[in-house]
Amino acid sequence: MKSISRRAWVLYLTAVAFLCGAGFLLYTFFTNADSWAMKKANRHIYSSSSLTAAGTITDSSGEILAKTTDGKREYNDSKDVRIATMHIVGDPQGYIASGVQSSYKDVLTGYNIVDGIYDLKKYGTGSDIQLTINAELCKTAYRAMGSNKGTVGVYNYKTGELLCVVSKPSYDIANKPVQSINNDKTGEYDGVYLNRFFSGVYTPGSTFKIITSACAVDNIPDIENRSFKCGGEYKIDGSSVKCLSNHHTIGFEKALNQSCNSAFAQIAVELGTQKLTETVQTLGFGKSIKVGNVNTAKSTFDVSNASKLDLGWAGIGQYTTRVNPCHMLTVVGAIANGGASPNPYFVKNITSPDGNITFSAKTEMLDTMFTQSTAAKLNELLRSDVENGYGDYRFSGLEMCGKTGTAEVSSEDGGLRPHAWFVGYSQREDLPLAIVVVAENGGSASSVAIPIANKTMQKAEKLFS
Amino acid sequence: MSEKKTKRKYRYRKPVNWVFLLMLITAFQIFCACQILLNGGEKLNDNTILIVFGSYITVEWVYFIAFAGVLRRKSFEVELIAFFLSGIGLALTTSVYPDKAYTQLIAVFLGIAVFIVLLWILSDIDRVIKLRIPIAVISIAALVFTLIFAKEINGARNWIVIGNGILSIQTSEIVKVAFIFVGAATLESLQSTKLLTRYIIFAVVCIGLLFLMKDFGTALIFFFTFIIIAFLRSGDIKTIFLICTGALMGGLGVLTFKPYVAKRFETYRHVWEFADSKGYQQVKLLIYSVSGGLFGLGLGNGKLRGVYAATEDLAFGMVCEEFGMIIAFTVLLTFVALVVYSIRYCAAARSSFYAIAACAASALLLFQAALHVFGVTDLLPWTGVTLPFISRGGSSMMCCWGLVALIKAIDVKTYKRYDKIIRN
Repeated sequence: MKSISRRAWVLYLTAVAFLCGAGFLLYTFFTNADSWAMKKANRHIYSSSSLTAAGTITDSSGEILAKTTDGKREYNDSKDVRIATMHIVGDPQGYIASGVQSSYKDVLTGYNIVDGIYDLKKYGTGSDIQLTINAELCKTAYRAMGSNKGTVGVYNYKTGELLCVVSKPSYDIANKPVQSINNDKTGEYDGVYLNRFFSGVYTPGSTFKIITSACAVDNIPDIENRSFKCGGEYKIDGSSVKCLSNHHTIGFEKALNQSCNSAFAQIAVELGTQKLTETVQTLGFGKSIKVGNVNTAKSTFDVSNASKLDLGWAGIGQYTTRVNPCHMLTVVGAIANGGASPNPYFVKNITSPDGNITFSAKTEMLDTMFTQSTAAKLNELLRSDVENGYGDYRFSGLEMCGKTGTAEVSSEDGGLRPHAWFVGYSQREDLPLAIVVVAENGGSASSVAIPIANKTMQKAEKLFS
Repeated sequence: MSEKKTKRKYRYRKPVNWVFLLMLITAFQIFCACQILLNGGEKLNDNTILIVFGSYITVEWVYFIAFAGVLRRKSFEVELIAFFLSGIGLALTTSVYPDKAYTQLIAVFLGIAVFIVLLWILSDIDRVIKLRIPIAVISIAALVFTLIFAKEINGARNWIVIGNGILSIQTSEIVKVAFIFVGAATLESLQSTKLLTRYIIFAVVCIGLLFLMKDFGTALIFFFTFIIIAFLRSGDIKTIFLICTGALMGGLGVLTFKPYVAKRFETYRHVWEFADSKGYQQVKLLIYSVSGGLFGLGLGNGKLRGVYAATEDLAFGMVCEEFGMIIAFTVLLTFVALVVYSIRYCAAARSSFYAIAACAASALLLFQAALHVFGVTDLLPWTGVTLPFISRGGSSMMCCWGLVALIKAIDVKTYKRYDKIIRN
């Protein structure tokens, strides 16, 4: 027996191996729990791969956007609201990755590794989420976009609250036109599952001149006393950057007001690759912004292999530059807020099924983009744009600052129409809101993007000031 | 002198306080019964639950009172574990298949009967030696009979079905106990090469027959047990290493030349890619295991029960989902406890038969639990073996109680009255 007892180490070895296995299993459970529990095969949460049991989603005013009643997911009564808020609320199948019903489904179902989905079983729901989004504002913005595809985003540049995020095309989540989406040949539903505000990237066109200006203000001391020659185009290396009209000799501020391509191509060439690249890096190009559980698409600016001509084009927001609308919003937000923008967010608070508020959003700042003096200078320039360029009458009573962009996306005549951009903000103390509008292939920014921005901002003024 | 001292030390190790633990276990079982009553569907008959749990708890207490009070036995660690685990299995079966609750209850009672009878047989070492050849012959005969007449269920021919499915027996389960019994008994008498050779032949025949039945999981369990027994007997690590290498190469050979065997393992480490086909049981198990969290959703609230053969093949996942991970991993620890128990009593065993039998039986249970748990969770290839005590099934329940008897027999206190031990 003693000899056998001495050989029993082999059993200890087996036991230790077993314990290691059990430990490893526990580790795999803990590391994978979130993703496993949220699989569509989980019938506690999904029924025929549709989210059924989950918490209520409300907008900033308490309007219910989505809720579960008797094991069925229901949405807002108004069809317009359903369509306008579809991308931010998200679909129950999880096609829209950035929608709250996807990106916050662990919260909505109340899942965590300790309690499992016990809350869901006990209360029939997980935590409730209140958004900072205002459904009425979304509805107005969506309607204002008319027949254009694209996106509108509005946020408070002091707190970071996103008040409006709409993306077009959209559909009625309560009556999903599955057939039309699947058999779509007309392009009516192009990218319908993409929230363009967070996940889209566009050629920025003239809105990029804000960034070129920022770089110029920082690096060319006498930029405001400079004048530039425009003969309807600016010739570089045998080719040219075209301008919309002949501005003859034009100063810096006027050049921005009238969006003179020749002037800005010259400025970009003078600044050079390195300086421009430094500026865009400070502004957060190449990085995505974490908006709660959603990461925005990265803006890109790469002039490392650009010729002089390319650099000229890049300076006016053409060439290979692509900008994410949410990112662009934070850039003008930073100007409005004295150099740094708050991190945008759309989840205001989370309430657990037993009524405790488990999360309340706080304002956090993104990395500083501009020095205070540069921000102040850009603020003047953008105000001057509206005052002297587009005209204050187009944003009646709003004291808007901003810049339009008509971003060419086709090099051929008769090709796709340009994207129409507007980015800007109100200077009014009681209306600290910034807005970004992108109308895909909408044509002229002035005639398409400005009215959308105005309608949305006027509605915001009624709602919030 | 020194040996005497060791013996004394082992003999007087303080046994656990069974009254308190049994009360805890009973409370747990009453709690389970209440949960089934609360969460039960229309299929459930309240009387069934009361009768099943009532009689199970009664038998539990009668057993302890009889053995502790009347027979004045002192140590009950092994029984506590067996009753705890069987209770979980019974609760799962009652909750999922109320109509099969009585069958499972009877299986547990038969298991307890097997346990008591086997303990009595084991009390006399001469009887054990006498019985080994008949048991070996009957075992092989039973396996051969199964191979010829068995019904194929889920790709393995290991079920004997009698009378239109009224009674189905898995002979390989019963033979598990016999395999250790014969192995330990054969090696009990003088260590002659002849006896060892006979045992090797017996082992090879058993494992070979299981292979022919395509019951690879059980064959693997038998092989592992054989290795443990052989090592404990000989202490010859080189030979064991040789056998293992040989078996490994043989296994690789089979995989190479019989691609259909390899195909059985194609989902291994890739279950998510086969989520809608071959891997669906395992995928469901993983999803629902983590859905239960640490404390479980409560008996009757799970969804894994809806998956095919959940109470047998996916028992671990059901425990995770409905009882929670804490209890699930406690269950795993109890198997380790049985192994540790066997090792600790080794030196004080009456003869090498008891030492080897207990070590082999506890190692077998641990190994089977490992194959089940790590198999369904895709850490090891899935062989479809059951989780001892907890998976539904009569043959396996009796086998488990039989193995527990082998473990229990190692402790001399099993056969000695408590007052006698004190007087010693």
